[in-house]
Amino acid sequence: MPDSHTVAVLLDDALLTLNRAVGVLRRRNVPIERVALRPTATAGVSQLTFILKADAATADRVAQQFHKIVGVRDVVLAATEESTREVQS
Amino acid sequence: MTETLTGAQILCRTLLEAGVDVIFGYPGGAIMPFYHALGDHPALRHILVRHEQAAAHAADGYARASGRVGVCVATSGPGATNLVTGLATAHMDSSPVVAITGQVPRAMIGRDAFQETDIVGITLPITKQNYLVQDVTELAGVVREALAVAQQGRPGPVLIDVPKDVQNQKTTYTPGAAARAPLGDKNTQSLRGAPAAAPGVSASVEDGVREAARLIAAAERPLIMVGHGVIIGNAYAEVRALAEKTGIPVITTLLGISAFPDGHPLFLGMPGMHGEVRVNRAIQHADLIVGIGLRFDDRVTGNTAGFAPRARIVHIDLDRAEIGKNVPVTVGIVGDARDVTHRLAAVVQPRTCERWLAEIHDFTRPRAAAFRGDLAPETILASLYQATEGRCTIVTDVGQHQMWVAKLYPYREPNSHITSGGLGTMGFAVPAAMGVHLARPGETVWAISGDGGFQMNMAEIATMVQERLPVKMAIFNNGYLGMVRQWQQFFHGKRYSCTPIWSPDYVKLAEAYGIPGWRVKEAAELPDVVAQANDYSGPALVEFVIEQEANVYPMIPPGGSLSEPIETAPASAGD
Repeated sequence: MPDSHTVAVLLDDALLTLNRAVGVLRRRNVPIERVALRPTATAGVSQLTFILKADAATADRVAQQFHKIVGVRDVVLAATEESTREVQS
Repeated sequence: MTETLTGAQILCRTLLEAGVDVIFGYPGGAIMPFYHALGDHPALRHILVRHEQAAAHAADGYARASGRVGVCVATSGPGATNLVTGLATAHMDSSPVVAITGQVPRAMIGRDAFQETDIVGITLPITKQNYLVQDVTELAGVVREALAVAQQGRPGPVLIDVPKDVQNQKTTYTPGAAARAPLGDKNTQSLRGAPAAAPGVSASVEDGVREAARLIAAAERPLIMVGHGVIIGNAYAEVRALAEKTGIPVITTLLGISAFPDGHPLFLGMPGMHGEVRVNRAIQHADLIVGIGLRFDDRVTGNTAGFAPRARIVHIDLDRAEIGKNVPVTVGIVGDARDVTHRLAAVVQPRTCERWLAEIHDFTRPRAAAFRGDLAPETILASLYQATEGRCTIVTDVGQHQMWVAKLYPYREPNSHITSGGLGTMGFAVPAAMGVHLARPGETVWAISGDGGFQMNMAEIATMVQERLPVKMAIFNNGYLGMVRQWQQFFHGKRYSCTPIWSPDYVKLAEAYGIPGWRVKEAAELPDVVAQANDYSGPALVEFVIEQEANVYPMIPPGGSLSEPIETAPASAGD
């Protein structure tokens, strides 16, 4: 059972939606390792990506909270592959 | 027909078109254009509260009693921040409230202008959605979307912040135009990319119902636990049909009270921290719990590690994020309480649970006598039931009286019990009851509070008088913040730090507001006084002077197991 998951949240390119999404991480005390925001190929859509230090069931619960946000278009969850993880200094 | 209107006029028109007929609010600088326009829209009744918190609670009470959106209005800055407790209350209890706030003009935003506050930022975590309207052309669409978001799926509060200059801006307006964008149901959307990561959640309602029916057929000690979702989803008949077809006893959570009739042979009562011993014991012995429209809150479960150790759990909820959040489930069914329960009741095999019911009956313990003298909650509430013939809505505040009412009042009518559950907001009852009255003008509404909670929002008596809202107010006065005092007695060595609380003379207070008031000290006075207050045409107040240090029994200590209730006061070091 992997204890690390990569979560990609595709959301409207709007500050309020982003604020709400980041707020979920903070408010629910979600154990994250890294967080990044990048534009996507689709105009008006950004991708919030973070690595979640938690098992699959917890990752699913976190993903569900994102899915409730108006302006979130999709949530993609994947077990983090060891090779993609960087050594924390 | 398209016409040119100001933003303020558009606010009034969109609310009226959506069927809103009453709003609760308080004017101020940044919302003045709206209040000016309100004068041209008499169909939109405005209730002038004495504090914006009351506007939010009243809108919440209106929403809970009517099932429709409750609307509150405030100005920018302090007006807006005063709404916050009410919005958080509505958010925790899934109540569809829409708040409209004035904001400083767009050119002033971000300059720390007079009465400027980032209310959208402040309310982000306690609203389902919120908006800062940047241009009048967006306004009608935003209001329509906000009203839809508040009600659809799992209901919740939505805030719309409208800068003052946007309220004065003009644009063309077409009545009844569609909401800004088509909306999906955010709660029940399926989650892509997580195939195996959703333990227990059934692939479809059909699969879930079939599996749940199989578990019900096989169970020896099944229970049905119902929460607020059954009330919001109007699933009373379906829950009753399921219970009666299977003989499964029914537990109602604090917010599920009145979803199943007290007095029904299958009715057990409230579980959790102040649940009766037999209810919590039933949970601890159950081998199956069918939970409908509840979230297995920590006040219900106690320590989840020890909660229902023998039971498999079927969890039916509209909000997929609730399934598996607090307790692990065997079968999770995402869907509307009414629809899913109806389908489940249709496919379950008829059965009875006679042996299990007898077993639960044997769990019954005599209720510990918490009260000396006869002016106890039992007698007060019995008088109330008699005076109202059981046909009234009771709105409670938070604390000991809330638990006594929840446990002792025999609710028969669906959705006749309204309280602040999730947030536990003291001061809720009095303003929320005003909203309940406006939603149900033909029915009596009683606001029951303790002496602490009552004093938080008692200024609203003036609102009741001015707006002619005949709310009946009952105060359980024990001279303490009773529930905190009880915790101090149990867990803090009986040090009653800052819990004795002085009250004014409530009868004189009533007189000052020009309403009748009574003080009851003896049970013998009850029937006459309660009947007089109940029958009076306007607002009325009754103070019940109850024993000072009575406790709510039994009690599961916070974080404790449902198997280990406290049934008597511990001997403290000083005793």
